Amino acid sequence: MANEAKFKCLRCGHEYMGPYIPGNPQERTCPNCRSNSVRRLGEDRGE
Amino acid sequence: MMDVGRHPRIELLTYTEIEDISGFIGNFHVKVRKKAKFVVEKDCVTCNDCVPVCPVVTFDEFQNGLSSRKAIYIPFPQAVPSSYVIDINKCLSGTKPISCSRCLEACDKKCIDFDMKDEIVEFDAGTVVVATGQQVFDPSGLDEYGYSKYGNVVTSLELERLLSSDGPTGGHLIRPTDGRAPKTIGFVQCVGSRCDDPAQGSPYCSNICCMNTIKDSLLIRDHFPDTEIRVFYTDIRSFGKGFEDMYKRSKEMGVKYIRGLPGDIAEDPVTKKLTVTVENTTAGRVEQHDLDMVVLSVGLQPHEEDPIKQMLTLCKTSDGFYMEAHPKLRPVDSVTAGVFYAGTAEAPKDIKDSVTQASAASSRAGILLNAGKVKVQAITATVDPAKCTYCNVCVQACPYKAITPLDRAKKITPQVVEAACAGCGLCAAECRFDAIEQHHFTDAQLIAQLEAMLEEDPQDKVAVFACNWCSYAGGDAAGTSRFQYPASSRIIRTMCSARTDEKFIMRAFEMGAPIVLVSGCHISDCHYIDANRWTHRRVDRLWNRLERMGIRPERLQLEWISAAEGQKFAKTMREIEEMRKAVTPEEIEYTKKAIREANERAARPRGKALSQVGG
Repeated sequence: MANEAKFKCLRCGHEYMGPYIPGNPQERTCPNCRSNSVRRLGEDRGE
Repeated sequence: MMDVGRHPRIELLTYTEIEDISGFIGNFHVKVRKKAKFVVEKDCVTCNDCVPVCPVVTFDEFQNGLSSRKAIYIPFPQAVPSSYVIDINKCLSGTKPISCSRCLEACDKKCIDFDMKDEIVEFDAGTVVVATGQQVFDPSGLDEYGYSKYGNVVTSLELERLLSSDGPTGGHLIRPTDGRAPKTIGFVQCVGSRCDDPAQGSPYCSNICCMNTIKDSLLIRDHFPDTEIRVFYTDIRSFGKGFEDMYKRSKEMGVKYIRGLPGDIAEDPVTKKLTVTVENTTAGRVEQHDLDMVVLSVGLQPHEEDPIKQMLTLCKTSDGFYMEAHPKLRPVDSVTAGVFYAGTAEAPKDIKDSVTQASAASSRAGILLNAGKVKVQAITATVDPAKCTYCNVCVQACPYKAITPLDRAKKITPQVVEAACAGCGLCAAECRFDAIEQHHFTDAQLIAQLEAMLEEDPQDKVAVFACNWCSYAGGDAAGTSRFQYPASSRIIRTMCSARTDEKFIMRAFEMGAPIVLVSGCHISDCHYIDANRWTHRRVDRLWNRLERMGIRPERLQLEWISAAEGQKFAKTMREIEEMRKAVTPEEIEYTKKAIREANERAARPRGKALSQVGG
């Protein structure tokens, strides 16, 4: 079940909301710069 | 199929389901459920005496519901072995013949056996060929084509049955609503294929639909010359041997090709004729075509639920079809050694391509079976029992199930089955106790590369960990394509991005690297099933750890770059070079100090350092 989460691009700094499935990492792409260095914010631990 | 059934060295297990497949190349163990047919196969002579007496009439799946069958039936006309089956879910008797049993009474050979039970059959296999096929797109959800509303809108598969001599009409083409021969037929191409909207279908071309329509149009014009045929299309893709000739022949025979897909199909409630509204993009006008029948050329889709994938540790591409070990060099091999693909399980393809792939798969399997032994690359992993703490992480992580389960009570440490190990190095990176090493990609070797790389002027360099199959090849593609990128990047090649241990990254920062990039195959495109998802999780963890240590997470970058994305590789390197320039000497010094202090703290109680080599 996909939840909404806040993401931050560590390349361009763009922040956005996107779908997030706990425990199942999906490819994240920054809508602004197309980088994959996108970090989920709000929880200090990995997936 | 008859040849297969008669072949002395082929055992055909029909009406069966795979329960489980375990093991590895040369040592697969297969368990199948042979479902009860309730008819003794070897005694049945298909005399047909049982069918007329069966009172149950039900939907015939093989004829797509265009005709009916009885509860006792032959699944399709050329079924091998040719014997009847009782559909026990439809049979009035169920497993209690007392309630009906008319077939039992009608069968002189006494073939009916209601006491028959499902049977579990187990056998060993050296290799496995996966030929699980595909399903066709269901156009019921596409309102504009009216498939679920209008009786004279049929799919290409239903037309196939109507044109077949063993179909419900014996090969006579009729309109489903009135049984009369249609005089005008329209084919709508790309139904459920090449769609941007997932609700409308799949994004890929289904490969077979254009030629199937051309074949059907030729067949109809041959058998029913008065029938007018119009094909609504976006492109006609007739790229196979002899296919362009067929396309030209169909045009010469009067089939009209109209470039544009219908926006609407409406039905006259009295005559049941269909009016197709389409923008003819060649003529640049909106046209209406009155037709007796419309055929939706439906695309192919992968099976959604597929337990075989889990059993054989296979992986699928983003379109849902099985992924090959290499699209050009090993197109019939799966990512799991000893498992091959044939047919549309791997991608949509026509009969000729399916037969070609099946021949290749059987040859590939035969080579292995004849050799009797396999060569594995010397990059497999090995467990050091002295360091193993029985944490079980490696067993859970291995995408190939190549690590045998441990037993803490009996002090049995995990063992790597070398024939099954593909050499991704994920287990070596995940083991926190350095109890696993990957041959030729050991911690010591990779750290030595890193230290040599950052020995001089580390502040001017970007440490890049790139996987062998995609990102490293992407770097190659950038070079051969002459895409310019800064010379500051220094690449360490690993077989998979999942081999990039946390301690390598921390060691790079400790040695003064301003930026570290971890790069691998796109998710769902990993050459080691799903190992790069572990890379993703690890980088996520490290971003949090760096932040806790007061180090900017931005200095650790992640990028998925395929072998074809040379341009992306160069663009990424250019962007990262700009980031490198922004990292100050003070920031680098702070990072070194923070990591050294963390290592010292970690070394005090447990003797484990963040960037310590070899534990």
